[in-house]
Amino acid sequence: MNIKQIVGVVVFLLLVFIAVPWAIASSGRWDFYYTLTSVALLSIASAGVWLTFYIGRINIGQGAYALAGGYVSAVLIMQVGMNFWFTIPLAGIFCALLSVLIGVPILRLRGVYFAMVTLVLTEVMRLAALALPITNGAKGITSIPLPQELSLFGLTLIPDFSTLENPKLAFYFAAVSIMVICYAVLWRIVNSRLGHLCRSLQQNEELSASIGVHTAYLRVLAYSISSFFGGIAGAMFVAISQSIYPSSFQVADSINFMLNCFLGGLGYVFGPMLGTLVLYFGWDLLFTTGRYQLLIYSSLLIALILLLPNGILSIFSRKEKRS
Amino acid sequence: MIRRDFIKSVSILAAATMFSAGSALAANDVLKIGFVGVTSGPAAAWGISNQRSMEARAAWINETGGYEIDGKMYDIEIVAFDDQKDPKRAIAGMEKMAQEGIHYVVGPNVDDGAAAVRPVAEQNGIMYFPYAFPKALYTAPASNAVLGMVANYQSGPAIYEHLMKSEGVEKIAFVAANESDPLSQRDSGVEAAKALGLEVVSDSVTYQVDTTDFTPVILPVLKTQPDLLVLSGVSPANAPQLIRSARELGYTGLMSTETAQDAKVLQEGAGDLANGFISVGGASTEELASDMMREFVDRYTKMFGEYNDESNTKVYALEYILETIKADPAGMTDVEAFKTAMDTFEAPNPYMVGDAKLSYVGSTSFGQKRQVAVPLVVNVFKDGEFETLFVAKVD
Amino acid sequence: MEQILANGLYLGAQYALIALGLTLIFSLMNVLNFAHGQMYVFGGFVTYTVVAQLGLPFVVGLFVSAMTLAVMGAFIEKFLFRPVIKKSTREESTMLLAAGIAFFLDAVILLIFGEKQRGVPKIIDGVLNWDFRIIMPYDRILIGCLAVAMIIAFILFMQYSKTGRAMRALAQDRVAAQLMGVEVDRYSMIGFALGAMLAGLVGGLLVTITGVNLGMGGPTSIKAFLMIMIGGAGVISGAIAGGFILGMMESIGLTALSSYGDITYLVIFATLMVFLAIRPQGLMGKPWG
Repeated sequence: MNIKQIVGVVVFLLLVFIAVPWAIASSGRWDFYYTLTSVALLSIASAGVWLTFYIGRINIGQGAYALAGGYVSAVLIMQVGMNFWFTIPLAGIFCALLSVLIGVPILRLRGVYFAMVTLVLTEVMRLAALALPITNGAKGITSIPLPQELSLFGLTLIPDFSTLENPKLAFYFAAVSIMVICYAVLWRIVNSRLGHLCRSLQQNEELSASIGVHTAYLRVLAYSISSFFGGIAGAMFVAISQSIYPSSFQVADSINFMLNCFLGGLGYVFGPMLGTLVLYFGWDLLFTTGRYQLLIYSSLLIALILLLPNGILSIFSRKEKRS
Repeated sequence: MIRRDFIKSVSILAAATMFSAGSALAANDVLKIGFVGVTSGPAAAWGISNQRSMEARAAWINETGGYEIDGKMYDIEIVAFDDQKDPKRAIAGMEKMAQEGIHYVVGPNVDDGAAAVRPVAEQNGIMYFPYAFPKALYTAPASNAVLGMVANYQSGPAIYEHLMKSEGVEKIAFVAANESDPLSQRDSGVEAAKALGLEVVSDSVTYQVDTTDFTPVILPVLKTQPDLLVLSGVSPANAPQLIRSARELGYTGLMSTETAQDAKVLQEGAGDLANGFISVGGASTEELASDMMREFVDRYTKMFGEYNDESNTKVYALEYILETIKADPAGMTDVEAFKTAMDTFEAPNPYMVGDAKLSYVGSTSFGQKRQVAVPLVVNVFKDGEFETLFVAKVD
Repeated sequence: MEQILANGLYLGAQYALIALGLTLIFSLMNVLNFAHGQMYVFGGFVTYTVVAQLGLPFVVGLFVSAMTLAVMGAFIEKFLFRPVIKKSTREESTMLLAAGIAFFLDAVILLIFGEKQRGVPKIIDGVLNWDFRIIMPYDRILIGCLAVAMIIAFILFMQYSKTGRAMRALAQDRVAAQLMGVEVDRYSMIGFALGAMLAGLVGGLLVTITGVNLGMGGPTSIKAFLMIMIGGAGVISGAIAGGFILGMMESIGLTALSSYGDITYLVIFATLMVFLAIRPQGLMGKPWG
């Protein structure tokens, strides 16, 4: 890590942990907390999708894992009585294991074939959630309690959310912290040996296999990390909405996760975060335009693609090239 | 000459706008009522008919000088948020409403959205009027949701019982889309039918909402030869196609649903084949509509080009909110006062002829008064229009 | 049994026609057109407007919606896809554009045609009833036959006309076709227009039977994706096969599995995933499409 990157990280952390809460407190726009919490969580799921892009696969199935993760968390809280904070990693691990099972056969597919199968996957998960008895089927799981206290040797690490005066703020900090950790992990992966190997897969799978890269193993590994991200994002959403239904994450969500990556830029680790911010926040900001909301939103989206087909972040790399 | 005329008309217009703007500023305070629902995508019809009936009513009130509460006149402003039928967006919508200082919100339109907004509504002191049926939303400890229509587990038994008596129905079959809302409605319908002593011959057939040909879906159901085919929670888009497929396959029995439908949609999609189709409506059939209902339909039609019969059931929520606040003006900012007022509230129903009353009900189903009393009007479709089959009450 | 087959054939014919347009665009430009379903819906609404609102004959409606969509497709290719394909480093970026166009068309459809379900009155009344073994309304038979006729016409066009041959050459090998003197830009545009026109035609045909509403777009696209996956992406015969196979699966599955409750589609989708895992390029596709 060079000085420039460290400064960048510090500025980013100051921004999300101090500047944003301060700006919200001084402007009184408390509703932005939920919007930004959503952006943080959705960008975690998008980060997973980005990682599958990184090995050259178009993943339109992240919604399936977000839904599965949500159900794992909800079932553990309601039926086992587990503390919410422990269900988050378990939801992630469950999704990672599930994705190994699903990934081994389907990761052989490439291009649009893989994309389409993953698109079907979201619908399969929704139908499975409707049909399985443990998910309570069509009626969903409701009235899930707020996250409980998490303590270590009597020392309170995370307070009980139901005793807090402002759970919105707590959810924001929780979501942003998880997001920061996830992106740090993602950044680390990309800049490691594993990342280089992934890049070789993206460019030419046969070639990298021929020089001894264990491609099948690598693909499944990347896909399961991706699904892990999807699972924890889904689990966190359950805590906020205190309910989950088979339709909590749908095909539209899966498509949005993919679009977030495209919009931010496939070549940049922080692309999916920026893409999520622009796409999700953009819709919210256009709320005042009433019935023309979707029209304006989609027109702006198309214009943005025409201007920057390689993602928003490509604007910086172009400048660097010139200078 | 032409130029002078032009200047004259412009100055008159300018004066008129200034005057009207000035008067609007000077006269009334604004009372904001929220709407969070789906107004784009596949289910757009539900939310749009909802939002439009609120906007039409608000425009009407404002045009006639505003709404009087505690001796003061208020203009009604509808703040609408499109949740795209996504529960995550619905939460964002509810947060927006809280930000705008709104305490009364109509919507969301579906089960998952209604469940998801509950924490936000309770934390921010918002009463909301969903069009979703899960009992957990309205039973204690939940207390901020008020069911905005008649639930299918209330209307279903009434319809079945009526048809048992008048048509001798014995065997009943259910078909539903494989989505949360229709499936839940099917399950409670099956339960109600069994309780009434009907024989349920088929209750497992489902379809994808995007089905383009319903013949294969309907075929196994008709093989069981039901007397009554219930289309549980059917959307207005699917209803005509299901009816048409069933009739074309030679089904001659009865068909019904517990959701609201639009006559024009049925006419275009199924034509004469839809004759005899039974659905739940509001109070706009000729026999029941008051002058006020007729004027509402007129104004709605003028404002948006075309009326939607689904709005008949959706005209009530806004009226209830306003009337209850009027009954206890403290309710305008304090939902606890509103809740207290709900227990004793009563006012005449302006949309229906006769002495029907607006009041809160639901003690039987939820153990507390968390449902608006709308007349349970059961309609039957005949040659492009709805006729009233019977009217019942919900308690 | 006869009834199940007849239903499957009818469904298959309409599915195949939807898939054809999508696969044509994919084969020429490697663009997965997420907006295909919206184009289909748009075509349906145009036919509805012409037939039900203006009171003109059904054939006119079909013609108008085909033309409208062809022009729309040509413009979308020329002004949106072409520049983006030229500028982007990864060709998947066109997916974002396609999705943006799908949102845009959704918004336009809602603003122009409204939120209600629309339908055109039946073109012919009456039901064919062959001894209660096959029951099929005449209008379904007519639409099914029209769909098959259009599929045949399309195949003949691709096989024997100059334009069709040029497009097939383009689909097989872009660079080689260019070297042989095929104007890539021009034929890409014609191909896209043709694909969009097919979507409009199906929309127009089906508005008489299933009606049309603004929510049908997205799910229709996804179903069409499934069909071209089954048959093999970018292969015309594959799209036709995929359409008929999916139609049959739905028809048989819904009958055979109806007693097991809500699992019919779960089984269909799961079967497809297993099938694709075993045969990744579909029935007749090029490997790694």
